[in-house]
Amino acid sequence: MSGKRLADEFVAEAQEIVEALGKDLLFLDERRGDEPDPEVVNGIFRGAHSLKGLSAMFGFPALSTVAHQMEDVLDALRLGKLRFDDRVLDALIESLDVLQALLAEGAGGAVDAGPAHEAAQTQARRLEALLTGQGAAGPDPLEALGLDPQLRAVLTEYEEHRLKENARKGLPLWKVRAVFGLEDFDQKLAALNAALKPLGEVVSTLPSSRPGEEATIAFDLLFAARGARDAVAGAVAPLGAELSALSGPLEPPVALAAPSEGPEPPAPSRPPVPLEVDEPRSETSLRSLTQTVRVDIGRLDALMNAVGELGLVRANLERLAEVARTATAVLPGRWGQELHAETRALARKLEELQAGILDVRMVPLGQVFDKLARLVRRLVRESGKEIHFQIHGGDVELDKLIVEELSDPLMHLLRNAIDHGVEPRAQREKQGKAGLATIRLAARAQGNHVLLEVGDDGAGMDEERIREVALERGLVTRTRLNELSRDEVLKLVFLPGFSTRAEVTELSGRGVGLDVVKTNLARLSGVIDLSSTRGQGTTFVLTLPLTLAILRALVVEVSGKTWAVPLNSVQEIVAVEAKALRTVERREVLQLRGQTVPFVRLARLFGLPEAKLERYHVVVVALAQQRVGLAVDALVGQQDVVTKPLGGRLAHVPGVAGATDLGNRRTVLVLDVASLMEEFLRPRAAAVP
Amino acid sequence: MAAPLPSFLSRFFYRPDEAGAGALSWLDSSPVEIPRRSQIPDSQLEVLAVQLSDERYAVPVDRVREIVKVPPLTWVPRVQPGLLGVMNLRGEVLPVYDVAPRLGLRDAPVGLEGAAALPRSARVVLVRDEAGAAGILVDAVHGVVRLPAQGLEPAPAGAYERGAIAALGRIDDELYIVLDLGAVLP
Repeated sequence: MSGKRLADEFVAEAQEIVEALGKDLLFLDERRGDEPDPEVVNGIFRGAHSLKGLSAMFGFPALSTVAHQMEDVLDALRLGKLRFDDRVLDALIESLDVLQALLAEGAGGAVDAGPAHEAAQTQARRLEALLTGQGAAGPDPLEALGLDPQLRAVLTEYEEHRLKENARKGLPLWKVRAVFGLEDFDQKLAALNAALKPLGEVVSTLPSSRPGEEATIAFDLLFAARGARDAVAGAVAPLGAELSALSGPLEPPVALAAPSEGPEPPAPSRPPVPLEVDEPRSETSLRSLTQTVRVDIGRLDALMNAVGELGLVRANLERLAEVARTATAVLPGRWGQELHAETRALARKLEELQAGILDVRMVPLGQVFDKLARLVRRLVRESGKEIHFQIHGGDVELDKLIVEELSDPLMHLLRNAIDHGVEPRAQREKQGKAGLATIRLAARAQGNHVLLEVGDDGAGMDEERIREVALERGLVTRTRLNELSRDEVLKLVFLPGFSTRAEVTELSGRGVGLDVVKTNLARLSGVIDLSSTRGQGTTFVLTLPLTLAILRALVVEVSGKTWAVPLNSVQEIVAVEAKALRTVERREVLQLRGQTVPFVRLARLFGLPEAKLERYHVVVVALAQQRVGLAVDALVGQQDVVTKPLGGRLAHVPGVAGATDLGNRRTVLVLDVASLMEEFLRPRAAAVP
Repeated sequence: MAAPLPSFLSRFFYRPDEAGAGALSWLDSSPVEIPRRSQIPDSQLEVLAVQLSDERYAVPVDRVREIVKVPPLTWVPRVQPGLLGVMNLRGEVLPVYDVAPRLGLRDAPVGLEGAAALPRSARVVLVRDEAGAAGILVDAVHGVVRLPAQGLEPAPAGAYERGAIAALGRIDDELYIVLDLGAVLP
């Protein structure tokens, strides 16, 4: 048991590192072609290093190997032994995907086998190959500086490299000498560093070769300034530091010639590992591997406070109960008032507690947006199209559970936009559109819901093509098709078995279409809609509840048994005369404002005795694009419920989402509308349970 | 009324008072303690003896979580026939099974109506295994007994539900049928 827990903790921590690495690499990726920020490279190096140590400690050798190779590459990068180019960046970014896959296998318990392990071997070799045959040595710019050899001797390899790098760029190098008192030198030194940072790079901080007076300590800071001498001098003067030249500006030719020496780095001596892997890469899910939520201690304090106050209310209630128990005569009116006040306080505190707990479950969507951004970048590169990816609203918060479940549907929609949505540059320009396409991912809160938008400014959906495909696949009859409006035609793409492209591409999915997205969302009580204008683009809008933890439910009765139906999937409640029902292929249907909707008798579905009624109460439930009318015997009311799973043994009872307590110790089942509808709307052959 | 329970057994029993204590009961209630294994000699198997129909069955004590009176049960559609329904124990939803038909003690499961009309001695024994916690409906609980390990024998050959029986044990004249929970629960 504890081994499993250790492994879980490892996976959680490792995942955090991988996510941080992803963020940093994305930062570099966005600035391709620029000189990488040494701080960021260093950060990635440290991350890879921790990951290596961590995975070795917990016995995940494959992870450790890949992290180790990444660390080597990054070390070479930060020491300037390796040029930072697209090839290196791509290899690093793809290593992250390998790490992610390895973690997923690790979380599943496979420590030293599985397909990701082979990928890990390949990736490790590929990273290693980057390092061979790379000798980026050029003329040493530090020679020209006439640097004191003694000084050079104390610099670390990294510091020396940074010094060279800065000299190569032609930046003036300064020696900043500062003498501080022993009692507060650490603060002063930090202040000095902070003052210098905006002006350039502090390459090294060395104890000065020229000691200060007694009870003082002297430092030499080697500083490469981007700014002018005056600015640097102005910044250090208030701190009592003095500036002297380590070097003058170097002649530009030396500086600029260095990167271009040799047209290309020499070819690696061993056969290069191909960049593109031919076999379809199995897509790893972007879901987190752990169910952990990091909670700010302040939020927990608020919860603890609420619990403490509940304790006070309890004490008061106990006192009142004691009064009532020992009362010999009629209770005074004041007692009733007090009881009323206390129950009100109890309700308020419970509400507070509920809100607090919901708050703890909330995480920003940015968590999943970051991962998606990484994926989109890779897909865009692979697609060869030119696309600008915009993200808005990463700070909008949603229940952790929903955020996790969202990553796959969003990934699918984004893929779709990249693959089908936007056109290649040439085609866009021919139509007078901006050559660079845009894909937008945006979130915003709206009341108790969050709206997510995935939009592109591409060609828009081809209505005629959708009509053709729908007919071809027998998803709709020709007469019905003729009655459909453009919007309704567009919604056909959500039907199972619909995929517009004749050939399944590497990018957008193997057979899974938008119906999967729709079903996944339905599970989250979410609804998907789309709008598309020819030539202007397509936008999908996803509407999701803020949380699934507490549901407002409609309480109904079926054959003497009580059920709760989540209200967010209830569209309306209608009364239907028994004689108004019709059948289609022996299945009952009802008319709802001119539309035919399947009619399902819950009692019959669950094998319960049916009451013969003249009129039925019909609860119309809707999920994504589908509607079904559920016949019930009676409507009882509405109530807030907390759904509890049925427990490990009964995890997958079809039609039942869980159980809930309606108070007064009555436990009722919560209807799983999504699974019921799925069951009912399946093609007939498969509908027999 | 059942015979007074031995004190070591009483801690298994669910007391309605605890459920009434409200949301804060978790603050001062501690989990049920099971006698520590180290105190029991290896040569003995400690089991909880229960009555099912007119036979005496036994469940290894380390699998028993709690014993509760038969609570109101909620029916669940379209599941295995052995499942009586689910119960709500202090906010946890747990399945309750009737294993008597599986053991050939009854032709059909007692059903929800039957469960509501059981004798006062009936209990639900909450057990746990790899698949999670579950309740087993029994006609009565006798107590914890220690079966000498060397006296245990396998189920006899014949048309028994042998898979459900882990062993047979004997103390004096009484026969205890030790259940294999993994096999007896669906």
